[in-house]
Amino acid sequence: MSNLKVNTINDASGGSAAVLYGVASPPNSMGFRNRIINGDMRIDQRNAGASVAVASTVFGYLTVDRWRVNNQTDGALTLQQSSVAPTGFNSSLLATITTADASLGAAQYCFLQQYIEGFNVGDLAFGSASASPITVSFWVRSSVTGTFGGAITNGAVNRSYPFNYTISAANTWEQKTVTLSGDTTGTWATNNTAGMTVFFSLGTGTDNSGTANAWAGAQRFSATGATNLVGTNGATFYITGVQLEAGTVASPFERRDYGRELAMCQRYYWKLDASGGTNINGNTYPLASLTTASVDLPVVMRASPTITSTVGGGTLTSSTGSTSTLVFVGPSGGFYLTAAAASIEL
Amino acid sequence: MYQQINNPMGQPAICIKRIADNAFIPFDPANTDYAEYLKWLAEGNTPLPADEQPE
Repeated sequence: MSNLKVNTINDASGGSAAVLYGVASPPNSMGFRNRIINGDMRIDQRNAGASVAVASTVFGYLTVDRWRVNNQTDGALTLQQSSVAPTGFNSSLLATITTADASLGAAQYCFLQQYIEGFNVGDLAFGSASASPITVSFWVRSSVTGTFGGAITNGAVNRSYPFNYTISAANTWEQKTVTLSGDTTGTWATNNTAGMTVFFSLGTGTDNSGTANAWAGAQRFSATGATNLVGTNGATFYITGVQLEAGTVASPFERRDYGRELAMCQRYYWKLDASGGTNINGNTYPLASLTTASVDLPVVMRASPTITSTVGGGTLTSSTGSTSTLVFVGPSGGFYLTAAAASIEL
Repeated sequence: MYQQINNPMGQPAICIKRIADNAFIPFDPANTDYAEYLKWLAEGNTPLPADEQPE
């Protein structure tokens, strides 16, 4: 029997990225390469594929799971999970401009973003001399061509790396890659708070734009001079296959099974499946004139969530939740839940 | 706008109600909705008192 012992395997063309079976083997290739959750936009617990309007000054988690929008322009847009996707994907996130703002003020901006929990990027050692380089890759398609912008930042958004990329052909899927050196300064959370953020700008004024491809100790959402998509009424912007990984190589998109990806999303947002199957246990306390009902969450959440619900049979007195259980408190005559959601997004 | 919540078990309240969407927000520093509530308080605002509990 042969016994092969080597220290490194490098590509014949040089560098440190070996290619095996046609696939580059990046660092951390043994699982959870992609620190982005729902990067292929498959999970849409809130809207199940329905379009949602984003008016001027509206922000929040309104669309597909884990993706946040912030529209501080005078324009408006809609967001929707779309089945228009490049080969190998089934979903994308579509932004359509419904009211244009062609002349952004210096402080105005509109972006899509994902906060990454510190636990999921702590190994990258940002904020230290050992900071790892990272690579962000994604597929985009837009009706508008030009140089677009985005940024990588820490959770507090006071350390920023603006980047830009070019959309060369209208209405055509293109894959883009951004590789950057890790930030050796700044504060980068490694706990259950926001550790890192990825921004994709749809239009950013000068106050929050900065020099591309360089770290800055300031809040930046985009690179200087990037296209203002919000400036074109009817413009479309699709994005999917978003991956952020350690190293300098954009490896193929990490495929995770649907159940795992859904569970990863449910750490931040959970919606009651009213069709059945959810464990609801009720207790009536006549002396206290109340009824309680508890729901066991399928995944331990990031922290105690905010709870919204719709009930029949009475009005809730309160709803409280730990990271694993929600407790609804209502009138002694009982009540029933027709909808409920728990959110602890970053 | 927010409203205080009586803990029906007679214990100290552990959440606040956001009136706009009837959301119950826990007093957890890691909850961004709670952080927004604290910011709202710091701006000099005051939540509505809790509803009276049934006898």
